[in-house]
Amino acid sequence: MRWRLAIITYIALWLTSALAAYEEFHELLTFRPLSDGKLAARFTFTTSLNGTHPRDPSNLADEDQSQHYTVFPLALGQVLREYAVTELHLNLNAGKWDYDHWGYPDEPGVGTGAELWAWMGESATRSVDERWKGLRNALSGQFCASLGSLDDQRTTSPELTFRPEGSLPSSGGAHRLRHGTLPSEHVCTENLTPFLKLLPCKSLSGIASLLNPHRLFDTDWHGLSVHVRYLENEGIEVRLSFQSVFDPVRYTGGRRAWSLQSVFDRVIDRSCPVARSSEIRVAIPKEENNAQITPDFHNSDGEHAIFDVLNASKPLDVAMNWVNESAFDYNTVLSGVPLTHISVRRTLKGSSQSRGRLAVSITNNMPITIQTSYLESMPWLLQFYLHTLQVHSNGVSRDDLVSIVSCIPSVPHARPTLFQAILTLPPKSTLDISMDVIKPFLRYTEHPPDAQRGWDLPPAVLVPLLPANATVLTDHPELSLSEHKMDGFGYPIRSPRRMYTPVLLVDLATPDFSMPYNVIIMSCTLIALIFGMVFNLLTRKFTLVRVSSEP
Amino acid sequence: MDFGLVYPALVASRLFLAFAPLPDALRHDHQLSSPLTSYPRLQEGIYLFQHGIDPYSGGMFRHSPLLLSLFSTVLPLNDVTSKLLWTTCDAISVWSLVQIWRTRQRLSSTSRDGLIAAIYLLNPYLLLPSLALSTSTIENTLLLLSIMFASQGRSSRSLLALAFLVQLSLPALVFVIPISLLLLTEPVSKLVSPSIPNISLNSVLAKLAKFGSYTVILTLLSTLACGNWAWVEQTWGSTVTLPDLTPNPGLWWYFFTEMFDHFRPFFLLVFSVHLLIYVLPVCLKFQHDILYATYILTGIAALFKPYPTLADPGLFLSLISLFPETYQYLRYPIVTTLLHLHSALLLPLFHHLWLSQGTGNANFFYASTLVFGMANGAALLDAIWSGLRVAIGTLPPGYEIVQK
Repeated sequence: MRWRLAIITYIALWLTSALAAYEEFHELLTFRPLSDGKLAARFTFTTSLNGTHPRDPSNLADEDQSQHYTVFPLALGQVLREYAVTELHLNLNAGKWDYDHWGYPDEPGVGTGAELWAWMGESATRSVDERWKGLRNALSGQFCASLGSLDDQRTTSPELTFRPEGSLPSSGGAHRLRHGTLPSEHVCTENLTPFLKLLPCKSLSGIASLLNPHRLFDTDWHGLSVHVRYLENEGIEVRLSFQSVFDPVRYTGGRRAWSLQSVFDRVIDRSCPVARSSEIRVAIPKEENNAQITPDFHNSDGEHAIFDVLNASKPLDVAMNWVNESAFDYNTVLSGVPLTHISVRRTLKGSSQSRGRLAVSITNNMPITIQTSYLESMPWLLQFYLHTLQVHSNGVSRDDLVSIVSCIPSVPHARPTLFQAILTLPPKSTLDISMDVIKPFLRYTEHPPDAQRGWDLPPAVLVPLLPANATVLTDHPELSLSEHKMDGFGYPIRSPRRMYTPVLLVDLATPDFSMPYNVIIMSCTLIALIFGMVFNLLTRKFTLVRVSSEP
Repeated sequence: MDFGLVYPALVASRLFLAFAPLPDALRHDHQLSSPLTSYPRLQEGIYLFQHGIDPYSGGMFRHSPLLLSLFSTVLPLNDVTSKLLWTTCDAISVWSLVQIWRTRQRLSSTSRDGLIAAIYLLNPYLLLPSLALSTSTIENTLLLLSIMFASQGRSSRSLLALAFLVQLSLPALVFVIPISLLLLTEPVSKLVSPSIPNISLNSVLAKLAKFGSYTVILTLLSTLACGNWAWVEQTWGSTVTLPDLTPNPGLWWYFFTEMFDHFRPFFLLVFSVHLLIYVLPVCLKFQHDILYATYILTGIAALFKPYPTLADPGLFLSLISLFPETYQYLRYPIVTTLLHLHSALLLPLFHHLWLSQGTGNANFFYASTLVFGMANGAALLDAIWSGLRVAIGTLPPGYEIVQK
């Protein structure tokens, strides 16, 4: 009897694993030499769980099905199912992405600090806001980041700018976006370690073995990101990505030449056995023909040299060299044209701690009129005077170029401002937008320990939109804003090119932190004194008394 | 001085000042306008309203819906109309003040009229907020109108003006009882010879009911204008919960900036109730001269209201011109004057040092608001003293006055 049960159990287990979702793991490393001598590197680890779909939020009250994964990260899967998250994006970045010299990043989310956004279905049992709170606390524990501070004071729903990158399940209720940024959060080793734990080969083999924290956090720009999306008819896909901008000129003392050894201080000794594909791609510079890539690459798509890590001879050390270049010439950088369609600058003017002026200046680098959406998701630490909004195009007042799509004013101590507008940028011109802002006064308990440092304000996000005139596009194919260079896994296919401005620092007035008791005592004393003296006069009667015996 | 000459001259010079090139910073000054009375915030609310965004959904706009509907429909708010409107408000205030004085003296014109007008219009505490287009000027006008109509016995107009005032500023509730009583008594000075007036409780309740019905109607009108009740929390609610801790010359803001979170509701309750507990004792003590009780209560409201501006103590100080019979019994007018001078110099200086210059800190400005509170407290106590003392008159030789 017992052996029969054992056999049945065995067969059942075998069937479950055979029928279970089909999992795939791909890894990719891309290098892109930048115009200012820097080197952009991006690691992408994609795990897809085919044939599954996100948890239906309407079943949140019921017991969830058990989870068995082979290469899909369980720690993340549990979080996703617990809070029924359909799509999730977490970016932890440090540094300022230089759009003018570096162009569009391969991963669009390059805003400084932490950024988390998620699309979740509505549910009667647990509201979206309740699950959003749980999600950010869970991720905060998972990635050792202070995402718990992304509370209601920093959460908005800018649905125009942050469209889903995958698909939303048609069944179930409407989907809602929750988005929060924490610009003062910094990415460091303690975030990378849990990130590596989500990979099937950790950092022991394959491309991930190049993730050397000593080198990665020494770069000009670095950021890690986690993207979860649902693709209809395919399944759930988790993409873990690490993006960084190295400065080989600094490492080599003047030359742009780089190799895996010089950049990461490591080479690839063995490949990750569970990876379905494992590739290194190096972008071949178009203008310069003296660039040389070693060793011989296995394949090429015209723009990239492709190395197949699984079949390459180990140890693999990819290197790139510019023949006859003894020192990199920075003069070419200064004269270079901006690589993006628009260039954005945002500043906070004024020295007063009670008010100031926010100025955004957007330059259209293209010979055609383009439109762009503009999003400010500003904590209540800066409050807008929208009636002072001024728009100038090349010095001429042009209020018609800005149309406000939506504005949700901030509530002190509770809710941020959400300001979305569509800007029309005339060709080859600069649009200057400015408005008065006031700086609020916080309770002494709301200030951080280093209150005098000021507060980081989240970046504004701009999304250039397709030009309305389609014939312009056929004339200038390079202007097509939706065109993307595919990188083998089709990333990013539907994401528009978001552009993040650098963060701002606002200096808020501080109370004295050492004397809450003194203030309470002194104010109360004054009030009590006046109260006592007033009631002394009101409750007693005046009488005459004789003080001398003389008549 | 001939009032017929002084009054137009003063109003004309006030109008001239309104159109003089004044720094924009005046309108943003924290002492001249609070978040509840600030002109840029009023403009912002109107802008949001006209662009289809509910201004009461955020924390920026805390003015009454009545002002919002007035300025977004009938009277478009721009630089010229607002300067004219604020000057008109000042002119009406002065006119009402002189009318109150004349009614109190039972004379159609006196030689003091011009002086009273000058004391109001030239008072820097009143002039500067008015030039900064702070709506506290409108509040003062409504209060003076209400007192004037009450002195003249015009009950409906007086209570309506008061109901409008309460819409604009909730702490004005302290004036409901004194103005109701003023309607039932004579405004003539009885400080020298106090006599208990004969007021029936029912008639007071009738006035209160009338005021209540006006307030209900105006509240419903406000709700109709906004389309929802969110304005109640943003306007009246903010005087109870103090969400905006912008500095002002009052005693609340720094206290609640430095307050421990778990004590905040308790102290908010204490401070709110504290403002109200003076009403009945003051009205009872000065029931022989309710106008004087109203005067004392303006001082108390100016001292203890949550979002005061300089216009509030300014009104109290200018109202003293109505009671010349008490002057000789003031105990320490020099000290009070010096305290006021001291704080009037320190308040803007320390405010600038703290927020613009960055060389001072919040305690400097807080200390000067404390001095300002002491100055107002000293003026208030002296006013109560002299108002009571005047009944005894000159002391016979060999006698002293004591309190029993």
